[in-house]
Amino acid sequence: MIFDDSLATQIRMCAACPKMCRHVCPTFFAWRSDAPTPHGRALLIHQEITGSREIDERGIEILYQCLECSHCLTFCIPEIDIATIVELRRKEIVSEGRRPEGLNDMAKAIEKYHNPYSELHESRNDWLELKKSGGKNLLYFTGCTAAYREKEIASDTVELLESLGHEVSISSEEWCCGSPLIRTGDAEFGLELAQHNIEMLNASEAEEIIVTCPGCYRVLTRDYPDYDLKLNKPVKHISQVLEEQIDNLPVDKFEGSITFHDSCHLGRHCDIYDEPRKVIEKVSGAPLVEMERTRDNAMCCGNGAGLRTLFPEKAKKIGAERVRQAKNTGANFLVTSCPFCKNMLKSQSGEDLTVLDLPEMVLMAKRGRKANID
Amino acid sequence: MLLLDSKTKKKLYDRLVSIVGEEHVTQQETDRVLNAHDCWPLSEAKIRAGELLPLADMIVFPASSEEVSQILIVANDLEIPVIPVGGGAGTCGGTLAIYGGIQLDLKRMVKIFEIDHESMTVKVEAGVMGIDLEEEVNRHGYTMGHTPTSLRASNVGGFIATRSGGSLSSLYGKIEDLTLGLQVVLPNGSIVECKSVPRHSVGPDLRQLFIGSEGVLGIITEATLRLFLIPEERRFRSFSFPDVHSGLEAIRNIFRIEITPSIVRLYDPEDAAMAFSMHFEFEEGHCMLLLGFDGDVAQNDIDENKAVKICSDYGGTDHGEAPAKRWWDHRYNMYYPSRLTTSGFAIGDTIDIVATYDKLENVYHAMKEAMEAHDVVVMSHFSHMYQNGGSIYMIFFSSQPDAETAWATYRKVWDDGVAACLREGGTMSHQHGVGLTRSTYTEDELGSSFQVLKLIKEVLDPKGIMNPGKLGLGVRK
Ligand code: SF4
Ligand code: SF4
Repeated sequence: MIFDDSLATQIRMCAACPKMCRHVCPTFFAWRSDAPTPHGRALLIHQEITGSREIDERGIEILYQCLECSHCLTFCIPEIDIATIVELRRKEIVSEGRRPEGLNDMAKAIEKYHNPYSELHESRNDWLELKKSGGKNLLYFTGCTAAYREKEIASDTVELLESLGHEVSISSEEWCCGSPLIRTGDAEFGLELAQHNIEMLNASEAEEIIVTCPGCYRVLTRDYPDYDLKLNKPVKHISQVLEEQIDNLPVDKFEGSITFHDSCHLGRHCDIYDEPRKVIEKVSGAPLVEMERTRDNAMCCGNGAGLRTLFPEKAKKIGAERVRQAKNTGANFLVTSCPFCKNMLKSQSGEDLTVLDLPEMVLMAKRGRKANID
Repeated sequence: MLLLDSKTKKKLYDRLVSIVGEEHVTQQETDRVLNAHDCWPLSEAKIRAGELLPLADMIVFPASSEEVSQILIVANDLEIPVIPVGGGAGTCGGTLAIYGGIQLDLKRMVKIFEIDHESMTVKVEAGVMGIDLEEEVNRHGYTMGHTPTSLRASNVGGFIATRSGGSLSSLYGKIEDLTLGLQVVLPNGSIVECKSVPRHSVGPDLRQLFIGSEGVLGIITEATLRLFLIPEERRFRSFSFPDVHSGLEAIRNIFRIEITPSIVRLYDPEDAAMAFSMHFEFEEGHCMLLLGFDGDVAQNDIDENKAVKICSDYGGTDHGEAPAKRWWDHRYNMYYPSRLTTSGFAIGDTIDIVATYDKLENVYHAMKEAMEAHDVVVMSHFSHMYQNGGSIYMIFFSSQPDAETAWATYRKVWDDGVAACLREGGTMSHQHGVGLTRSTYTEDELGSSFQVLKLIKEVLDPKGIMNPGKLGLGVRK
């Protein structure tokens, strides 16, 4: 049994909870049924543990509809961590060979191309232009989304770090960090990627590893150590690096107010809430306008843990709702600190809200905003 | 359970698909299992014990009153039970499909129409969650005044179908006081509107026929609800009393001089010990009274001072705002599962009775004795108090070695608890409703008026398709 007594007790409690956190579960929002909910997922697993009912194909689908966003945990007084429970069960599903087809395809893509987008590995980050400056050497672990889908985030990050006096390096040996696999239960393949990346990262002469993707950040700082893989240098998220050098950041007035979206991996999973906020407020010279659901109560963007791959329409519905929440603040800019969130939120934002990732926002201030609006 | 033959099932499924589309009907067993239950403690305990609950044959999720109407026409035609489901947060098993059929789930009907600031009302669809509605009206400076512990999980249709009440009902009233307009779909598919008016004199109030109808007469699809300005302050005060009698006398006399606190909760010695002794010092064996006042500072000063004087006159000891405020700040916490309340075959429930002041204390003592006879822990608080009487939460908790004994004990406590309540002149529910828990007691409770309910049921739902087995109606052998 993958669940020890303590977890089984938690699952049992949750299976019959009076639905105290369902109202914040994004998949409940998207489907409006009691099936894709925290307690629904717990009930499936509980029935399996007690032997009263097996998890059928539909049950697997419901487990794979979970965003692993952990929003439910914020509202759970007994602190039952559904995301972790779901991920543990997904691991078994993968080893039983019952993973949803769409994710098999993703795994195959990663195997072949080392990224989930089926893009050529060779063009991952070779397009980034780097300058030699003799400054502190930082290895930028680009991450697949910034490398292939949000290239401006990657190039802005490099430019920004260089402008702060650092020398940025990248590695052509960088592979997907493993997050999309680990979060969807393919820990085994995730470990292979981790081993590859660890070797590359530990061999690098850089002093620090910088990531812009909170998914990468979580995997490098939490999952790799769980695999007993040790990095020989610190990993920092770009928001932390920028906050460390807050006095050197450019300052410019933004036309209109700015709101901030917490990515689940950065916020709830890694407890980084203040750094991006401090950076935004410093750079814009104005206080953020917070959304009603913010920090550990922030709604997921809808992109997480395979939902976008398997149920793109529902993922977009969740993304659109998060955009609506952002627009409710009256803000003109929605800043996040995650390329994956940015990608989803921008796709749903329309004309009246500019969505930016943190490095883009900072660089915009450096360049003087208008230069960046085409 | 009656099983639908596969031909009828296929016909039903196809017709439902043609109404709402394939995405919004499901026959999958997993969906039926996960959507089967509300928050009835017996269902929850059975779930924990690994038992399976009765299932609907299919679940349909309509998006509009028109779709609800078309679904009911089909169900009526095929004579298939329809069980309306709101948030699925009820505590009485009211949404369990005990005879199979269709669970008609309203969770997609989530429109909040524009607030009428002039009349201070808001029209909403039945599937809007309580918390979403409260947060939305808060944005405009209003409150619904309706704050049940289930607020995050329950929805407007469920509130109305069960005559629900919130913890501030002493001041704002229950949902029957808060609902001005109503739209209901009858089993024959007709969409019926009860106009939104503050009062009227055009025959009996037909809204009230459907408020509390628990899905046995039709399906509530839309409502116009009252709004209140968010009070300038909510002020708290707490007193301990040597016994239930003195605490109740204080409450009665507060209402007698027309002070209407928003919160009035008197915890008996057992419940007070459980809820407050860990955090506050007060004499062992004493009761605790929590008061809350909503309003502007000046009015609250006046009301609070008068209430304090009454409490002192009846032997109360002042504990300031802390116990009452703590309760308010943590009011949802007791509703979460805990190791203690879920271990083994543990099961607890609340019999939320109501009575006038002349009977209230007798009901309390009689029920406590009857329930404790089954070797269960009983603790109670008086809450939802009014000028003429109020409610008692008779809470019991039992822990038995096996499922059979646990479920049998549960039933016996209910049987004897309700019998004692009725014998002493109380009414068996203030706000939770009837559902399955109390279905078999309905006839005794309503006495001579039960026939009225039965006759109305026969006229509105001649084929008996609506939520059979609930409210004492349509119970099949
Ligand atoms: S995660 Fe916690 S709050 Fe949510 S349903 Fe489970 S037990 Fe209840
Ligand atoms: S982790 Fe997120 S998507 Fe999954 S059950 Fe919890 S709130 Fe829902």
